[in-house]
Amino acid sequence: MLTYVLKRVISIATILVVLSVLIFGITQTLPGSVARVIAGQFATPDMIAAIEVKLGLNDPFYVQYGRWAAGLLHGDLGRSLITERPIGPVLWAALCNSAILAVVAFVLVTVLGIGLGVLSAVRQNGFLDHSVSMFTFLGISVPEFFWGIVLILVFARWLNWLPAGGASEPDAGLGRLVSHIVLPSLTLAFALIAHVSRMTRSSMVGVLRSQYVRHARAKGMSERTVIMRHALPNALLPTITVLAIDVGWLIGGVVVTETVFAYPGLGRALIFAIERHDLPMIQASTLVIAAIYCCANLVADLLYAFFNPKIRYG
Amino acid sequence: MSIDPLLRVESLCVSYASLNGNVPALRDVSFSVARGEALALVGESGSGKSTVALAILGLLGSEATVGGGRILYAGADLARLPAEELGRLRGNRLSTVFQDPFATLNPSMPIGMQVAEPLMRHKAMPRQEALARAVAALAEVGLSRPAELAKAYPHQLSGGMQQRVLIASALICEPDLIILDEPTTALDVTIEAQILDLLDTLRRRRNLAMLFITHNLGVVNRICDRTCVLYAGSVLEEGPKDLTLHRPLHPYTQGLLRAVPQLGPRRRARLRPIPGHLPEAGMLPKGCVFHPRCSHALGECREDEQLLRPLEGGMVRCWRADSLPRAEDGGATAVDAHAAPTRNVLLDVQDLRKTYALGRKIRFGGPHLVRVERSEVRAVDGVSLTIRAGEVLGLAGESGSGKSTLGRCLVRLIQTSGGMIRFDGEDVTDAGGAALHEFRRDVQIVFQNPASSLNPRRRVGATIGRSLDLLGNIPRQDRQPRIDALLEAVGLPAHFANRFPHQLSGGERQRVSIARALASNPKFIVCDEPVSALDVSVQATVLNLLADLRDRLQLAYLFISHDLSAVAHIADRIAVMYAGAICEEGPTDAVLSRPNHPYTEALLSAVPTVNDATKEDSRIRLRDGANASSHTPTGCRFHPRCPRKIGPICEQKVPPVVSPSEGHWISCHLPVEELSLPAADVKNREMA
Amino acid sequence: MVSALVEPRPARRKWRLPVTLLVGLAITGVILVLAILAPVIAPYPFDGMNILTRLKPPSAAHWFGTDDFGRDVLSRTLIGARLSLLMGFGATFISFAIGVPLGLLSGYASRTVDEMIMRAMDVLMSFPPILLGLLILTVTPPSIWKAMVAVGIVYVPAIVRLTRSVTLEIAQEEFIQAARARDDDLLYILFREILPNAWPPLIVEAGLRVTFAILLGAAFSFLGMGAQPPSSDWGLMISDARPYLEAAPWVALAPGLAMSLTVIGINLLGDGLRMALDPRLQAGKSG
Repeated sequence: MLTYVLKRVISIATILVVLSVLIFGITQTLPGSVARVIAGQFATPDMIAAIEVKLGLNDPFYVQYGRWAAGLLHGDLGRSLITERPIGPVLWAALCNSAILAVVAFVLVTVLGIGLGVLSAVRQNGFLDHSVSMFTFLGISVPEFFWGIVLILVFARWLNWLPAGGASEPDAGLGRLVSHIVLPSLTLAFALIAHVSRMTRSSMVGVLRSQYVRHARAKGMSERTVIMRHALPNALLPTITVLAIDVGWLIGGVVVTETVFAYPGLGRALIFAIERHDLPMIQASTLVIAAIYCCANLVADLLYAFFNPKIRYG
Repeated sequence: MSIDPLLRVESLCVSYASLNGNVPALRDVSFSVARGEALALVGESGSGKSTVALAILGLLGSEATVGGGRILYAGADLARLPAEELGRLRGNRLSTVFQDPFATLNPSMPIGMQVAEPLMRHKAMPRQEALARAVAALAEVGLSRPAELAKAYPHQLSGGMQQRVLIASALICEPDLIILDEPTTALDVTIEAQILDLLDTLRRRRNLAMLFITHNLGVVNRICDRTCVLYAGSVLEEGPKDLTLHRPLHPYTQGLLRAVPQLGPRRRARLRPIPGHLPEAGMLPKGCVFHPRCSHALGECREDEQLLRPLEGGMVRCWRADSLPRAEDGGATAVDAHAAPTRNVLLDVQDLRKTYALGRKIRFGGPHLVRVERSEVRAVDGVSLTIRAGEVLGLAGESGSGKSTLGRCLVRLIQTSGGMIRFDGEDVTDAGGAALHEFRRDVQIVFQNPASSLNPRRRVGATIGRSLDLLGNIPRQDRQPRIDALLEAVGLPAHFANRFPHQLSGGERQRVSIARALASNPKFIVCDEPVSALDVSVQATVLNLLADLRDRLQLAYLFISHDLSAVAHIADRIAVMYAGAICEEGPTDAVLSRPNHPYTEALLSAVPTVNDATKEDSRIRLRDGANASSHTPTGCRFHPRCPRKIGPICEQKVPPVVSPSEGHWISCHLPVEELSLPAADVKNREMA
Repeated sequence: MVSALVEPRPARRKWRLPVTLLVGLAITGVILVLAILAPVIAPYPFDGMNILTRLKPPSAAHWFGTDDFGRDVLSRTLIGARLSLLMGFGATFISFAIGVPLGLLSGYASRTVDEMIMRAMDVLMSFPPILLGLLILTVTPPSIWKAMVAVGIVYVPAIVRLTRSVTLEIAQEEFIQAARARDDDLLYILFREILPNAWPPLIVEAGLRVTFAILLGAAFSFLGMGAQPPSSDWGLMISDARPYLEAAPWVALAPGLAMSLTVIGINLLGDGLRMALDPRLQAGKSG
């Protein structure tokens, strides 16, 4: 187990380094010279040259990368080209906002997704199974942003129960905070609940057909024991992997959902940065998001190894 | 034995719903098991024997319907019992052991819990007490260090140990009847022998009734009292074991016995396969279900439904049974005449090695604080052998012995780690390019699994044709005739070339594999378990074919098999492999009789045969041990399990080679004189 | 081991097409036809602006109403279908064209090759899908074609992984060993022996990927990184409709519902295909 943990950690660290090179490389050196992009459409060659000098864009790649990476390791994420202010605090605030959304959505996904999946598998082909099946089918077919817009239409415009977007002020009460979070989290969670519950269902159905479940029944164990103590622990193992993949979807969904709801999180910060060609901001936020994803995967891998006796006890 | 049977199945009918309508799986199945009696339910695949077990337990899926009949147990009809009550009987009075122990154990639950569960459920025993009983049960089935084992997980145990765990969990509530569905089929022969002994002991000690489902007649002989023969869902014969195995009543049983190779003086007798093939589930023949394959069939057999009727102490479903000849050796069977070849050496292998790296583990400790441990498996560890043109060398051994790896190394499918292979005078160990191409022409391989040996998406003719194109050197116009000729050589009609593999039976597919191997006119073929995955009645066809081809085409074979009877039937010489090295080699007759290497001795005594008359005491018992571990023992490989171990010398020194007779050698520290005596006469050492 | 073979000659295979397959085929077929015929059957050009008829609700003249430029929403939706389907199939084609050969190689060739390919895929997979696409799209002026390529690249690792795992399984089969034993060459084994046996799970995956590609591509357009105005790409239409959501919801609802319906149809088709290809449902197994 220890070997496995060490291997995974080293692997993730290496990947992060490679990622940072990729991110930096793609944004800094690809066509459409950075300086030209910053200077805008009407720039003269002199202005472009001046920007290049100012940002050190004429240095070789590894020097530019080295500067950036060194800054990162010191906690300096650079300065926004647009606001000229340090990126660090801005991203941190955005991260906290996104985290609230993500955590709420994740809890919903885990509880509802796994719960519905297990229930439909246990009552296979029953009424519950078919209804859940239809619901999840919609969930994987309707685009996220459309679903968000429909929710806005219904709950914010027509029923006027919830705000259409944005976030509450930091010192406003819990009620206001929650009211701003409900719609975005639901939007975020919808597709994922569908996804997770389908995979859980299929994993559970497979396990219920297995030889060892049949044997548990042959030993006369009660149906409840068979499901809870024999089937479930084995069916949930692959679900851990699925949840890890879904963190990725979640992050992707965060970008879109925050745009729909104008929610001031990490995703919206990234989109703004892209729209305004704010290069350092793009680089920093992309790296942060990718790093979070990697760590989530690492945690999932370790959890899986912990719960799987074959890996844990070699 | 009591008068009232414990379990009585009466006219049981079960059918499955399928795309083609309702398909009968069991028709009018009747038998009974008395208290303390062991009944064998014998049948090939598709006979419905597993369905019987599932029906008794009430574990048939929703696609199956019990159409008629009764299953009487302790006065109640199990087929009509509500699920709740049936659940209380299962595991409690009626328990089961299934075929594949690894798949049957829950991979995420500790062993002790899995064994203790039935107690907690049926006897309302508190958890701690149940676990303690479980530990005791593990000890009773012969597992060492049971308390430690109870906390382990299934993947940490070997196959034999897993099966013992299952037996322990089946017996823990002290049932009256235990149903065993092919419990030893997936196990090595020596482990199988131990499990069968264990079952026998437990049965006598507890007066346990057993319903033992198997296709292996040797196992039936070893452990059962009565036999019931199932074919295509119908019982064809039932009776005391001696009657069924030695003077069988039904032509099918007679055919089965003739088709199976047997160790013993008649081992070379030509096998007589049962012609035809098993009927398709939905298309059973009218009248007697066996008549299309029966050499004694008459008009009435095709018309009238046959009934079970008593005869000579048993029951048989054949109206001609009392008038048919019943000698066990039905007619004179020609002993396979085959001159021992004295031709040139074709294949010369010297000190062949193949090592697999298993991976690295990081460990703390040692001089540099962190150590990286590399573990490896020495699958083939210094094997030397020679094969002459036209000769068959049989390679016997159990799983993990490295015989398959050796076979693939010889065909150059696997890169060797050391040693030399010399074919027809040339060193081909590292040959490439044109030399390798030539080699591939002369050396081919036939595999084990007919379901996977042919590309499902190509027609038979295309598969053989591809081999011809690559290796055959055939001009365009001769291609099709050559394909036809190859099919004919393996006994298949030419129009089979247009068929896809799924349209052929297992035996037919295996024959196509052989035809493919013959396409390049090879001199030497490695046969890697060619009949192990086939039904008993079909094995004989392929074995006979291989023997015929050997004679006609002067082929040499390396015949690899874990089934010693098949090896003994066809091989001129036998090499016995254990943990990557050959421990004994010699002419077949010499290897099958004393003196032997202790491992060979154990193997021979473990093989269950139909004519087994050996007493229990002379059976060699080996300790359980992992066959291929990453820590090869120093000295003799076999010493951890050897019943004849002398002492430290076996652990420290590599054993010398002794040669009791011409061409026969054994690798052991013991002198030949001692190896010639049965182990029972030798003072046994303490075995843990 | 008991023989796994049961029926000797199941020469006939009864194919009963599942309902899902038929319904999915119907829906997808209709949408496909509409998309192909769109320029012909659309009552108005997709960029035909008319200030006088801005934001009109659905009526006889405009079945789906008009948007804030007076353009007919029905026509725009119809034309948008072509873009979405193009995105879906195009991106999937790209990801398969790159991913399948890489996966075959990775699953069959030497361990070093495998390691190299998988490490590269690991790096790519360490990006959340949207992020990778955005990254690719930030550095050049966005267009729908670039979005399609980006989506294709984003899905390459998943296809490589799937193909690799299927290839690994098939490579264990004995007929592959037999092919090696007769000195068959690498390309033949990969493409004529392995691939024909690998396609069922790949086809099913392709069906799924098309829907993912449609949704991801639309997301990019929604964010402004894909199709550009005045294109009538569905994602762009929905994004454009946001300022007028309450006043004229039909402008957003039409493309959204159209996209949902399309994806539902393809998903049903995919599900149906999966059920039809499931070997368990073919020649019945017996006990």
